[in-house]
Amino acid sequence: MLQPLTMALRAVWLIRHEPGTPLCGSVRFSRRYPTVEKRAKIFNGVSYVPVPEDGPFLKALLFELRLLDDDKDFVESRDSCSHINKTSIYGLPIGGKELWPVVAFLRNGMIYASVPLVEQTLSPHPPLISISGISQGLQLLFSIQDFLYLGQKTDSELNTKLSQLPDLLLQACPFGTLLNANIQNLLDNSNFASVTQPQKQPAWKAGTYKGKPQVSISITEKVKSMQYDKQDIGDTWQVVGAVTCKCDLEGIMPNVTISLSLPTNGSPLQDILVHPCVTSLDSAILTSSSIDAMDDSAFSGPYKFPFTPPLESFNLCYYTSQVPVPPILGFYQMKEEEVQLKIAVNLKLHESVKNNFEFCEAHIPFYNRGPITHLEYKVSFGQLEVFREKGLLVWIIGQKFPKSMEISLSGTVTFGAKSHDKQPFDQICIGGTAYVKLHFKILDYTLTGCYADQHSVQVFASGKPKINTHRKLISSDFYIWNSKAPAPVTYGSLFL
Amino acid sequence: MGPLSREAWAQRLVAFRTSPSAFMAGADGEDLGRNLLNDLRSEKLTEQTKVSLLSLSLEYPAELWPDPPAAEAAATSLLDALVLLPPRPSALRKPLLLAATTVLVTGGVLSPTSGASCRLLPLLLGLASGRDVGRGFGPISEQRPLQATACECLRELESCKPGLLGGLLGLLRSLLGQEGPIQPLSLLLALSLRDTLVIQSRSGVGLQGLLVSGVSSEGGSWDWTLAEEGAAHLLPQAPSWPTPNEGECGLAVLEPSPEEARELRAAVAQLLDTSYLLTPVAQAQLLWLLGWALRGLRGQPPALFKPQLVRLLGTAQLTLLHAVLALKAAFGEALFTAQDEALLLRRLTLAAQHPSLPLPTHLFYLHCLLSFPENWPLGPEGEEAAPLLLGPQLCRSLMPSLLHDPMALLARLHLLCLLCAEEEEEDKGQLQSPRQYLEELLAGLRQRAALDGSPRALATLCFQASYLVAICLVGQTKVLTPLIHGLAQLYRARPMLAPHLVDFLDQVSPELGEPLKRVLQQEVVSRPGRPEALRWHLQMLAKVAEGDAQSAILSFLQAAAAHCTDWRLQQALLRVCRALLQAGGGNGLTHLLQVLARQLEDPDGRDHARLYYILLAHLAGPKLGVALDPSLAAPTLASSLVAENQGFAVTLIVQETPAPIRLSVGPRMPKGPLPVLQLHIEALEPIYSLELRFRVEGQLYAPLGAIHVPYLCPGHPAHSLFLPLQPRHPAPTQLEVQALYSTPAGLTCHAPLPPLSVNFEDLFLPFPQPPDGVEQGFFEGLWDSCLPKGAESRVWCPLKSQGLETLVSRHLEPFVIVAQAPNNYHIAIRLPPASMLLLRLEAAQVDGVPVALRTDDWAILPLAGDYLRGLAGTE
Repeated sequence: MLQPLTMALRAVWLIRHEPGTPLCGSVRFSRRYPTVEKRAKIFNGVSYVPVPEDGPFLKALLFELRLLDDDKDFVESRDSCSHINKTSIYGLPIGGKELWPVVAFLRNGMIYASVPLVEQTLSPHPPLISISGISQGLQLLFSIQDFLYLGQKTDSELNTKLSQLPDLLLQACPFGTLLNANIQNLLDNSNFASVTQPQKQPAWKAGTYKGKPQVSISITEKVKSMQYDKQDIGDTWQVVGAVTCKCDLEGIMPNVTISLSLPTNGSPLQDILVHPCVTSLDSAILTSSSIDAMDDSAFSGPYKFPFTPPLESFNLCYYTSQVPVPPILGFYQMKEEEVQLKIAVNLKLHESVKNNFEFCEAHIPFYNRGPITHLEYKVSFGQLEVFREKGLLVWIIGQKFPKSMEISLSGTVTFGAKSHDKQPFDQICIGGTAYVKLHFKILDYTLTGCYADQHSVQVFASGKPKINTHRKLISSDFYIWNSKAPAPVTYGSLFL
Repeated sequence: MGPLSREAWAQRLVAFRTSPSAFMAGADGEDLGRNLLNDLRSEKLTEQTKVSLLSLSLEYPAELWPDPPAAEAAATSLLDALVLLPPRPSALRKPLLLAATTVLVTGGVLSPTSGASCRLLPLLLGLASGRDVGRGFGPISEQRPLQATACECLRELESCKPGLLGGLLGLLRSLLGQEGPIQPLSLLLALSLRDTLVIQSRSGVGLQGLLVSGVSSEGGSWDWTLAEEGAAHLLPQAPSWPTPNEGECGLAVLEPSPEEARELRAAVAQLLDTSYLLTPVAQAQLLWLLGWALRGLRGQPPALFKPQLVRLLGTAQLTLLHAVLALKAAFGEALFTAQDEALLLRRLTLAAQHPSLPLPTHLFYLHCLLSFPENWPLGPEGEEAAPLLLGPQLCRSLMPSLLHDPMALLARLHLLCLLCAEEEEEDKGQLQSPRQYLEELLAGLRQRAALDGSPRALATLCFQASYLVAICLVGQTKVLTPLIHGLAQLYRARPMLAPHLVDFLDQVSPELGEPLKRVLQQEVVSRPGRPEALRWHLQMLAKVAEGDAQSAILSFLQAAAAHCTDWRLQQALLRVCRALLQAGGGNGLTHLLQVLARQLEDPDGRDHARLYYILLAHLAGPKLGVALDPSLAAPTLASSLVAENQGFAVTLIVQETPAPIRLSVGPRMPKGPLPVLQLHIEALEPIYSLELRFRVEGQLYAPLGAIHVPYLCPGHPAHSLFLPLQPRHPAPTQLEVQALYSTPAGLTCHAPLPPLSVNFEDLFLPFPQPPDGVEQGFFEGLWDSCLPKGAESRVWCPLKSQGLETLVSRHLEPFVIVAQAPNNYHIAIRLPPASMLLLRLEAAQVDGVPVALRTDDWAILPLAGDYLRGLAGTE
């Protein structure tokens, strides 16, 4: 049979989740594609379900995503154990039939939803992998999300962006087939000289840059960790890096090669994902993976990325890395003694880490308990801030660890009666299960040692560009679990 | 009416978008489409307002112009508006082109006979090829964006009418080679190339040089031939994701000539070589299109794609990686060696958990892993399974943990289950086997669900995970036994999860469900717990109460009854009784129901208990089971008893149905002390315990007894039944008949049957035969006894072809006292209860016989007269 494979979308919605209001949400934007709908009707045959109006769609989607305020009772169509969703693709009951596939996810209080065209009958559901519109639908929603939240801070900014969407989608997706996932770019196009040369102009680059050539490379590493201080459970930590580039270069297709290097004792980069503008990759980069056991033979660079840059700032690559030790190693001991909790925290900065923070804090939350009514404590370094109502202690360590590199906090905490509305329920921190979460940032530093050497940046374009490089390390999901109680483990923790 | 103001339009558009159907049904609905087209030409409205009008026609053309003539007119009007634009830059040209295209497609008017189509197509082609299209197409700066827009419009038209651009392949190729906008032209060429290949292969012809033909339609008419052939294939589609081993599936195999093959290869290579100039999403579309176009074409090695793959495998851009998977599915081993396959799988595994990618992407890749198009799949097609090359090492990074989002947890849990299923054979007693990890994970989920105040979503997740394990690991007692006990413990900790457990029991197989029911039953009866848990315990028992532990359950219920102070609890209690009733009842239950019928506070509850008691006392076990079988509707009425009654009225109250029975009167049987009606009965369906009830209007007959038939089965010969009649007067009548019976399903049915007639002659009985030689004297004695209180008459009984002898032998044989065949007969008929009819048929002639008749009951004379006169007619 003829499969036109046009990867099209039948409709797109943006829905603001508004808990506490009668409908629990409102449609902020919607767009339908009737020519695609026409094809859906033909291809889906008897299993065709028309795209509903906004009202019924809103209701059905919020119910399915459990975003209505009526979670109290067991509802079979939503809570049945066999109603299992393992992807962001849903079937919505609409007028006694099922609208499927609905691609939807919630981010920052906004629900992004679309219905891709499936060019075959829907009963039984074909596997998602065979539906080209699924990845296109997700991609469009990601693009809209990026556009809405790039630099957006206030509601009025959001509203401005929402009002720009219809015009932008007319360019990015005129007939329901996505042409360009970089919506922000479409808006910025006017800033660049349009091309009149007959030379090949990439569709992802609307014009050319005119001005002083320069290349900015910024490496941001996030370190996450799970520390248990237990015999049978190994600590885990991982570095996740992102390399962002902005290349202001003249010419239609300037070629650039950026090499990332490691110092001799640096940790190899793994799981490298590159931007589609990268033209080729060394097979060692392609295969270097955290899945394999580490050994000395691991490829340790330099990691060369030849590419033709787009106009805008973009993420050249992402990577992960397994550094030999976590930057800060600590333990947390918390014990319930009659009416109060006894706590002890110890943190030690590893000697190899640059002891110069932009900030460093340890957050010690107490979940599923009442507000803090009484606190006695002792810190060897820094200050402690108490947020009584939130049940939170923040230990402000500051810019530097002391010479010993080791600091400690001990104390006792007493709590008032628990009130459910003020203290949200935490699913993990039940009973003695508790954590300290570290928040820190170190500028001009990476944990892997990874850096982009100015001299290794090759640019094949007119004029010698100025090259700026930046580095920073920030913490992300850096947890130290109470070693006196059970803690959630990941599979990896059990193999050490 | 003049044009609406900007504000009025803005209000209308908002009202329309809120609910298009409601707006169209309203007062302004009918004129909306017409007003919109008119106001597009109004000079009072700003371009911005007109753009918003056009965007409405882009989204809702079918609502605005619902039928083909309206769509044709609207498209024409849109094209007119386009031509009339002043030759300066305008934001309207693009949306006008898009709108005209949309309206033609959705109105179903795109065809050679449509004037608007014949205007739009050459216009689009002219714009797409960068030709001067004349008036109204603005400054040069607008030409290039419009060129791209025209390509998009053409592509949409081709999508909706495959083959439409088949004649333009050569032109599109040459445009791509020149300076046309690369992305729209590439996609347009790829789509029409693919459509042409499919359509041509179906008709068994090659490309016929289409790829190299020059510009043909300049000025000439549009070629619709291929589009007409393509339309035949635009039908509801069957699933079509290929598996690599099915060979040249899907498309009919097309064998292009060497020359064509070369041209085709050149065109595809041209498209692929410049594909890096397309946006990633457009590259993905191109790869899907070309992949599917070349699949099934002989002499087109997929190696053309190879250079692209090296570039694409490094990225985790969602649409690109998806397109690579599509190529993998399309070409299998021909494009991906075993090493390539392993690398792709590694990249996919990596992307499925890369911290830099968002959750929906992870979830999609996890799905792709379980549906990975392997070169040599082992398992059954279409079933989710871990690919062979995804060993434990790769899986390790995809293990679930409590910290994951619920969907990620379930997706990863599925993978873990598949791993555990494989592990079964080779349990190596590792320090931490996947199975142990699975158990700990489930225990963690239960712990969270058990916590007081934890949200319902956590409980749901826990049961979904348990269900997933239950279906993936059927028969693995090492996993299922701890699961059963864990769930029972969870119930003990938080009885309010009863609805989840009831649902779980409904979903899982008996292999897991039966032992779980037993454990839960034990859990409830052995630990009555706090009174606030009673409601849940009762709900749970109603599900799990079964035959074997009745006494424990009954004592639990007896103790519980005292706490059942409100209506809801009483109903819950009664529902457990109902479950026990269904399981067969028992003495203890009889007692309990009696107690409840006396003690419950609520009268509704008492009535209900009494009803159950009565049912238990009066119905046999199987019947009780059937009676209680229909699921009980939630009592929304004031009385649960009413609701309950509605529930099993079906089974206990007799059903009125049309009868599956045929009943007829058989031959007469004049003997014995009373007249007996012989009935023949046939069943059209199997029926049991049939009772036939008869009723006579008025007091003519004594009440008739019912007839019982134990079993009737269709296809058997008619069954004979005998119905004794007890007339109080010897008169004909009609019998009303009703049937009452059971169906094989246990329902009791009632059916009225057509009435049966009892004729005068049906009441005839003979006198005892007098001894030989005294017959004449006997007859004369009777004859004389009739008068004076009786009546006498003479009747001419016509004879047709039959002689008198035949007539007598057919109708009156049993009653003949004296016969002097063939012409003289003396006949005596007894008519219950106490009458007689005597006939002398003497000196018969050819055409009739005179009959002298006497009776001791004057009232029967007219009946007898009618009977005799009618005899001839009955022949």
